[in-house]
Amino acid sequence: MRHVIFLFFIVLTFNSGLFAQQSQEPWSSSQLIEPATLASKINLNQTGNLLILSVGPDAVIKGSVGIGSAKEQANVKKLKSYLKNISKDKEVIIYCGCCPFDKCPNIRPAFKTLNDMGFKNAKLLNLSKNIKANWIDKNYPTSD
Amino acid sequence: MKLKFCFIVLLIITGSLHAQDEILKIGQPAPEISLPDLNGNTTTLSSLKGKLVLIDFWATWCAPCVKEQPELKAIYDKHRNQVKAEKFEILGVSLDKSKEHWQKGVARFKINWLQLSDLKYWKSQVAKDYAITELPFNVLIDEQGKIIAINLHGAALQNFINNYLSHQK
Repeated sequence: MRHVIFLFFIVLTFNSGLFAQQSQEPWSSSQLIEPATLASKINLNQTGNLLILSVGPDAVIKGSVGIGSAKEQANVKKLKSYLKNISKDKEVIIYCGCCPFDKCPNIRPAFKTLNDMGFKNAKLLNLSKNIKANWIDKNYPTSD
Repeated sequence: MKLKFCFIVLLIITGSLHAQDEILKIGQPAPEISLPDLNGNTTTLSSLKGKLVLIDFWATWCAPCVKEQPELKAIYDKHRNQVKAEKFEILGVSLDKSKEHWQKGVARFKINWLQLSDLKYWKSQVAKDYAITELPFNVLIDEQGKIIAINLHGAALQNFINNYLSHQK
């Protein structure tokens, strides 16, 4: 019985951590786009209506624009200026991929900027681990 | 029966945490590293044979890595005599993309051990060779270039190095 209780607490701890994290994020789960989905769009040249922005250390993804790490205020300013004349209906996908979401300092200020500017189709690329594990290692299209 | 079930669950949890260690194994020779330093001079891991080497994979964009640098500095300072005697070395391998950021990080933490990088971020060959899935990541290798510890941090790292070097005297 003690083991069952122990197990219950383990599950509870893991789950509560995950839920707590989800509820505080500036994006909703429906705003996450899967790497496989984006990779397929790039490979099929279906990115005409998309804007793919890197808000991390490097623009690894083919066709993406490197804004720079959004943890730096200067790069948030750069992001705002880059988006100034873009239609608010445009699908804007941001990504970083330095680290797992809980450790990434860039995606939150960037996504908040998109929200504040009123972008209705803002998306976050779901690189849950990093750009290597979730993109490069899967041989998805890169910028070189 | 319940005990078995608990054990299996724990095994799955710990197994997923250590997925990183799958390719790299203790006792195996460490993959060669041949990368430029801040001055553009190429240095190899194999040139450090005969020393205990802590290979620290880090980047200035990785907050926990940055936080760890003063700890590495303390280890390096503590064992400065073994460094002078060519018994111990730290090899910092940066996954930075920006040379400027890397350079500033090295200066900021007064890093005086070897620092190498191809400035290729996660596309770096070393990330592939060492099967790195998350930073910070480190590997300790012995005098023959064999892996003796993987991903130790904090007190575990300090104790391992202290013990290893104290048994060498």
